[in-house]
Amino acid sequence: MSLSTKHLLGIKDLQKEDIQTILTTAEQFKEVLQRPVKKVPSLRDVTIVNLFYENSTRTRISFELAEKRLSADTINFSASGSSVSKGETLLDTVNNILSMKVDMVVMRHSASGAPHFLAKHIPCAIINAGDGINEHPTQALLDAFSITEKTGGLEGRKVAIIGDVMHSRVALSNIYLLKKIGAEVIVCGPPTLIPKYIEPALGVRVEYSLKKALEWCDVANVLRIQLERQNQVLFSSMREYNLAYGVKKNMLDSLNKEIVIMHPGPINRGVELDSDVADSHHAIILDQVQNGVAVRMAALYLLR
Amino acid sequence: MTVLIKNATITDKASAFHNRKADILIENGIIKNIAEEIESTGATKIIEGKELNVAPGFTDIFAHFNDPGTEYKETLETGAQAAATGGYVRSFAIPNTNPVIHNKSQVEYIVQKAKSLVTDIIPIGAITKNAEGKDLAEMYDMQQSGAVAFSDGTHTLQNSQVLLKALQYVKVFDGVIIQIPDDTNITKTGLINEGIVSTQLGLPGKPAIGEQIQIARDLELARYTDSHIHFTSVSTAASVALIRNAKAAGIKVSCSVTPYHLTFTDDDLRTYDTNLKVNTPLRTAEDVAALKAAIMDGTIDCIASHHLPQDYDNKICEFEYAKYGMEGLETTVAAVKTAIPELSNEQLVQLFAVNPATIFKIELPAIAVGSKADLSLWQATGWEVKNSDIRSACKNNSFIGRTLNIKIKGIVNGNKIHIND
Repeated sequence: MSLSTKHLLGIKDLQKEDIQTILTTAEQFKEVLQRPVKKVPSLRDVTIVNLFYENSTRTRISFELAEKRLSADTINFSASGSSVSKGETLLDTVNNILSMKVDMVVMRHSASGAPHFLAKHIPCAIINAGDGINEHPTQALLDAFSITEKTGGLEGRKVAIIGDVMHSRVALSNIYLLKKIGAEVIVCGPPTLIPKYIEPALGVRVEYSLKKALEWCDVANVLRIQLERQNQVLFSSMREYNLAYGVKKNMLDSLNKEIVIMHPGPINRGVELDSDVADSHHAIILDQVQNGVAVRMAALYLLR
Repeated sequence: MTVLIKNATITDKASAFHNRKADILIENGIIKNIAEEIESTGATKIIEGKELNVAPGFTDIFAHFNDPGTEYKETLETGAQAAATGGYVRSFAIPNTNPVIHNKSQVEYIVQKAKSLVTDIIPIGAITKNAEGKDLAEMYDMQQSGAVAFSDGTHTLQNSQVLLKALQYVKVFDGVIIQIPDDTNITKTGLINEGIVSTQLGLPGKPAIGEQIQIARDLELARYTDSHIHFTSVSTAASVALIRNAKAAGIKVSCSVTPYHLTFTDDDLRTYDTNLKVNTPLRTAEDVAALKAAIMDGTIDCIASHHLPQDYDNKICEFEYAKYGMEGLETTVAAVKTAIPELSNEQLVQLFAVNPATIFKIELPAIAVGSKADLSLWQATGWEVKNSDIRSACKNNSFIGRTLNIKIKGIVNGNKIHIND
């Protein structure tokens, strides 16, 4: 099995079959992770660098675990404490690392399109671990895997993506993936955080009312509100955000159905998600994290 | 020196030879004879070529020569070579140098250095000190020293009160204020045009209304002060509609467009091509069509190269970190004729020679015996733009590799001649 693409830069560039291949492969790796020896030798001749130009806990650990469970050699790089602080360019940094015979690059970067730029200039496979406000493909894949696992499938599933859609690479990758597989998607959030052209650009519907969004959906993927974007005039306060768009237990109880709550983490408890929702049986947040390792193993394995 | 131009079609409404093929004899920078056939004996240089055309000298009104300050991107010398290669007898230099062209000595630096250059480089003075948008610079003194117009260049003047006073201030000498229409309060977080492409690419958008609001406001200030404002790199359909209406209402307004806004759209940014990172940003196909229509109906008065050289390191990087701008003096005229093939020679000359001279009050000698030779030449033959055709110190030009409809032959600027090989 292989993919139609050399890199995993975004879901936008994948074929539907690629997505299915990754998800099917991930199922097999999830089984591996349940074994007493959670390790296979698939990538034992492969060296992978994890380049993190932006802070990350979950994604970095998840990639590193995925690489180790495939027996790859890994190197971790973070922008602080590296030559980046001495003014080295991205291309110089990567070329220096590659000259030491590294085979694959996993990169997170704050600039949209940074991995696409890199792909034009270096010969090895690149996996995008999040670029700016563009894409976070492995997150969308693990979300798809988790929805399938919990609800039995993606096709026709109604998914609401709630929160700061404008600045969310999780939202964009999820929308691309869900639309390709045939799920229905609405986005919900304050109008200041919803891109003006999202309906014609991505074929999703916009719903400003959280209540209506929750009533409509089977799955609510609740996004993290980025505290660091507060210097822009986007909403008045965290308190008011919670009043208008925080998902609360009584809302879920008032629905005449069970819905699934997802979150890419890290959660701002009491802002976008109240604790009694985050810790309830509705939430599959920790399943998402667990599935992340299997999905990333699949992506690494297929792109080696 | 005696120069003979052979068998060239003359486009100059002010000339008796308009729309006719003729030879032109130039001695010591002055046109001595125009006739159907002039003997070449005694000519030290002969300019000839297939489908040769000649017109009054072209003027570019917005180019960055980076000198002084960032000479690794361009100098007045390399910039003048680029301009002459592109068929320009004159090119205005924007004031965003370091130091900024905001006083007499900076203006004089450019004027003095330009005397030895093949293309006349004429400085645009800054409206405000250091182009910071706060305090008025000494525009009167700069005008007296040779500044042709006033603008904060790539830094659009945001403060309404400062712009109002600047528009009033330049009335003393009938000056023109040039603005890139860009309300940065709205656009500063964006990188490309806000729209379907920006949403699909995950790049922050600059809403088109950021441009339109600035135009609407500046037009009101021009109306109030009865002073002349010129917008450059207008890029949206709504922008040209605003300007068309303002002209009809008698507001003193003129405008220019860049060659790249007539050629590319935001759809071309799907590969995150940093050479297409420009401000104002590339818009949609509908906007391009509206700009072309506005050229044909005369709403757009002239073309501005927005020649902004950026070196390799500022373009071979992440899109967000890449600097704005495209170099393009060499390719501007040919690119416009390619974007709008139906443009007649007369319209081309109007856009590149007559209108800029009229707006900025530059004397444009007619193609007539006794006049100074102030000529742009081109051939109506296809031209595949190669890297080696670019004479600027930087190569950030998205027209490289494209085939354009005409090829610039060169210029005659009095005694100074530049002919492309």
